[in-house]
Amino acid sequence: MGMSRTNIIALLIFGAVLGYFLSFGPSTTQKFKAGVYQLLAPFLTGGSGLKKQITSVRTGLKSHDQLEHENTALQVENTELRATNRGLRDVEHEVNRLRHALNYRERSVFKLMAAEIVARDSSSWWRTVTINRGKRDGIETDMPVVTDEGLIGKTTTISEGISIVLLISDENCRVAASVEGSREQGIVSGQRVTTGLTPLLDLNFLSKQAELKPGQKVYTSGVGGVFPSGLFIGPVKTFRVRELDGQAQLTPAVDLSHLEDVFVVTGRR
Amino acid sequence: MIFFCVLLFLVLAAQIAELFIPALPWLYDAHIYIVPVIVFYGAMALPFPLMLALALYAGVLLDALTVQVIGGKVEISMGSSILLYGVLAGIMHGLRPLFARGHWEVHAILSGVFTALIVLAQYLMITFRRGSLVFTREIWWQICGPGIAAMLVAPILFWLLQWIGQMTAYPYGPERGRFE
Repeated sequence: MGMSRTNIIALLIFGAVLGYFLSFGPSTTQKFKAGVYQLLAPFLTGGSGLKKQITSVRTGLKSHDQLEHENTALQVENTELRATNRGLRDVEHEVNRLRHALNYRERSVFKLMAAEIVARDSSSWWRTVTINRGKRDGIETDMPVVTDEGLIGKTTTISEGISIVLLISDENCRVAASVEGSREQGIVSGQRVTTGLTPLLDLNFLSKQAELKPGQKVYTSGVGGVFPSGLFIGPVKTFRVRELDGQAQLTPAVDLSHLEDVFVVTGRR
Repeated sequence: MIFFCVLLFLVLAAQIAELFIPALPWLYDAHIYIVPVIVFYGAMALPFPLMLALALYAGVLLDALTVQVIGGKVEISMGSSILLYGVLAGIMHGLRPLFARGHWEVHAILSGVFTALIVLAQYLMITFRRGSLVFTREIWWQICGPGIAAMLVAPILFWLLQWIGQMTAYPYGPERGRFE
């Protein structure tokens, strides 16, 4: 039994659209991707808020469970006071976090644009996050993204209101780096597959005589133009000599799995 | 047609939801993918032209949200997911006679296998660009983990989608009106 005429037409249209998308070059792909992200921006920011609310409700349910087990008025009052106290501690934590971030922005030598993480990449092979700043905030491609603890990555695709940040734990994010207390320079990149909460970074192309010690700090060297010099990447964890060069493994300075507020470096002061 | 529109909406919602679902640390950080299961259900339940339209839509969304352009280079070209979804959904559509008789087991298993195949294909494509083809235990779990998760989620999603089909009076479902 052959295919019906409708099916053949559908297949031809499918093939034509597929061919159209396959012909996209990098710049067209980036524009298309930015367009789709812009369309989805309200859902992404809304989803981020919803996720926070769900976490908050879950905390509330725990309090409710406790209340069920407490019968006397004193116990209820006690629980309420504890809940209020916990709420205040959360507020205090939030205030401290924002104050810390504000202080960092004020004392930094860079011009920084504060941003919030709204979503994380769901794919297995790329490490990216989405932030709530875009073209209209002056964000451009290849701007470094940092926290007060160190470098976290660089911007890649920019929409009007949101941008994608490629994390330093991604294999494609390459950063020219220098090691504190030595003349050693190399290239830091992420690993293809990482497991566990703390991904490791590779520092390649070191000399075989480098003999780096655990704890030595690694900073951006400023070579290449994307990342300014002096941004902390992370401390050395291990060092090994390979056939042609030396390689160190670094622990990222920033806990990439719990990012909330970040700064985009938009220039120098 | 209402059911088809519902599927389009669910694919979009699931694609966005996936951005907020954290990886499973106890499964070597494997991710959970819901969209392929919905697409593969659509492949069984929809007529051929609509199946292709759904594969096209899901493929464009997946590519737009996952493909990364870094330093003026794109690792996986736009359209690759459309091709993957098209081929795999086409195979699933070929097994429609089983679905029409009310069986879902083969499709649930295949949904998991095909989800893992999509992740494997992505890995092979990025490896082709980056070099050094390696298959460590972690990589196998990153590939098979989403497949296992999809296989486990499939029966529940299939049941839910069939219920939605009945609610929208969709006429192209299983002949016996329920899964066995």
